[in-house]
Amino acid sequence: MAVLDMVGLSFGALKERRLRSVLTVLMVIIGVALMTSINGLGGGMNNYINEQLGTLGADVLVVTPSATTFGPEAQSGLQTKLTPQTVRTIERMHGVKYVVPSFTGGGTLKSGSESKTVSILGMDQSKVVYIAPKATFESGAFVSSADSGGIVLGYSLAHPSNLDKPLATTGQSVFIEISMIENQGGVEKLVTKRKAFQVRGVLNELGSQSIDNVAFITLASANILFGKNSIYDTIYVITSNSDENDMVEASITKFYGKNIGVISPKAIASTINQVLGTFLGFLSAIAAVSMFVGAVGIITTLYTSVMERTREIGLLKAIGSTRETVLLMFLTESFTIGLLGGVFGLLFGIVGAYALIRVLPFEAGAMTITPWFRATDLAQAFLLACALSIAAGIYPAWRASTLSPITALKKE
Amino acid sequence: MTDEGEPFAIETFDLKKTYEMGLVTVHALNGVSLKIRHGEMVSIVGPSGSGKSTLLNMLGALDTPTSGKILVDGSDITRLGERALSKFRNRKIGFVFQSYNLIERSKVAKNVELPAIIAGTPTKLRKERVHELLDLVGLGDKVDRKPHALSGGEQQRVAIARALMNDPAFILADEPTGNLDSKTGQEIEGLLLRVNQEKNATIVIVTHNLELAEGTGRIIHLRDGVIEKERTGLWGHKDAVTETRH
Repeated sequence: MAVLDMVGLSFGALKERRLRSVLTVLMVIIGVALMTSINGLGGGMNNYINEQLGTLGADVLVVTPSATTFGPEAQSGLQTKLTPQTVRTIERMHGVKYVVPSFTGGGTLKSGSESKTVSILGMDQSKVVYIAPKATFESGAFVSSADSGGIVLGYSLAHPSNLDKPLATTGQSVFIEISMIENQGGVEKLVTKRKAFQVRGVLNELGSQSIDNVAFITLASANILFGKNSIYDTIYVITSNSDENDMVEASITKFYGKNIGVISPKAIASTINQVLGTFLGFLSAIAAVSMFVGAVGIITTLYTSVMERTREIGLLKAIGSTRETVLLMFLTESFTIGLLGGVFGLLFGIVGAYALIRVLPFEAGAMTITPWFRATDLAQAFLLACALSIAAGIYPAWRASTLSPITALKKE
Repeated sequence: MTDEGEPFAIETFDLKKTYEMGLVTVHALNGVSLKIRHGEMVSIVGPSGSGKSTLLNMLGALDTPTSGKILVDGSDITRLGERALSKFRNRKIGFVFQSYNLIERSKVAKNVELPAIIAGTPTKLRKERVHELLDLVGLGDKVDRKPHALSGGEQQRVAIARALMNDPAFILADEPTGNLDSKTGQEIEGLLLRVNQEKNATIVIVTHNLELAEGTGRIIHLRDGVIEKERTGLWGHKDAVTETRH
């Protein structure tokens, strides 16, 4: 029998039991679509994480006062105060190129009648280029260390998505307001500080919230504004080569023990991606289970079909179909189900991933994730659907092929 | 061998078939030996359980005997493997069943075409043949109908056209008029006689319908798995056939 004739006969049989066939194809579609969506979302999340952490240089280590940020250790007060002495100590370590201390704090940026909550980073801005090598200016330039009234705005700050025009432009005056608890004569009071700044520059968009949503001021200004008493929040350590990261990290932790945090953004990205990979692997396993359920659906559908078409199978054998021909006919039916399920599953999976991005809280704030589909993942889901469908068709097809023509023709 | 030195179309030797049904052994055929010439039209009659359908299934290579030989054109088909038997059924035999066994979802043309599809005949050739055969059975205008839109007699005509698709040497018909009223039965009988005459096909009919049997050249009476007697049909010669048809 010619292949086209075989396909034609199989299609005819599937069409005859249209609703059942469509429902079975739907089972396969669900499995493939789930797998495709999960892979697409996973790819998008990986990209997002790499994008966020990738804006920092590969040769940057971030030193924080504590190894952990939560849990008993963090609460135990086992912290190292990051002081100018700490900076000098780290500067002397082998493999260290620059040490950039910084203060961080939150406040409100006011420009005219508009205001926006803002993260403020105080540091020697001549070193920003080492921490975020991809940072470039839309207008203006970084603030010099002596310019206590200068401020540089990240792109998202200067161009909030809810405003038609920029919040502030280079050369414009803005205010930073911060609220803090101060001890005044033994009594704690909530005080609001307000300081005027002049915008010296606006950065281009980097795609990283740690840069785009930040206002940069000088180290000295931040120290006074936040009342930090020269106790730094974070120290960025730029190594002479990214291969030296591990060595420098080891030197710092050896010197300060476990009471200091040293993290490499690349290592964070790798860890997050690993955790994410495990989680997505778990979800993919669920999707794979749904594909197996689809395969069981195919077995049920085809087996029922064999039972219903026993006389037809008997006739086919009586008029000369071989066992192999009957086997192939039913396998073609199961393959057709897998093929349709695979193709539509991929389409629905791609559309579904974009739909899920909208439904799930990924777009909260400025976090934007775009699904990303790897060709190998798509091919894997499609081939798995086809392979499982063929495998699911083997038993019913074998049953059909081994039916005795006489017994089959006698079936009422 | 026939008197003319040619092999018989079909020849069986001491054909036996037994079935084990639990503790009971059923002897469906108990030593059947018969000879059928090329172009002959033979009917096999007998009461239910006499073994006539079993014999027909053996002749059509749908079933294998427990012992004995079946020679078709001088070749023993009981020695053929499964693939060779499938090919034999496809090329040499045309089956006509009591319940037509048409594929309901397929149009008339597709049903007729089926044996040629299995044989791998090129599409153009088989389409031409389908029209030729449907014209022969008087259904040339119902090519695109589905079986359920046809009467019983028309469905059996489609089945006969299908049986003729690969131009087989033998037509084996199991109760071909069993599901039809007497008038339609006569029409089908006439069609089979015509096929016998015009195509020179050897036809073996299993039937309860004695009227149909009398129209064939020879009637074989089967009882308890053995041939009880053989006789010539009352009007089972070519001239008489023509009379029947008209």
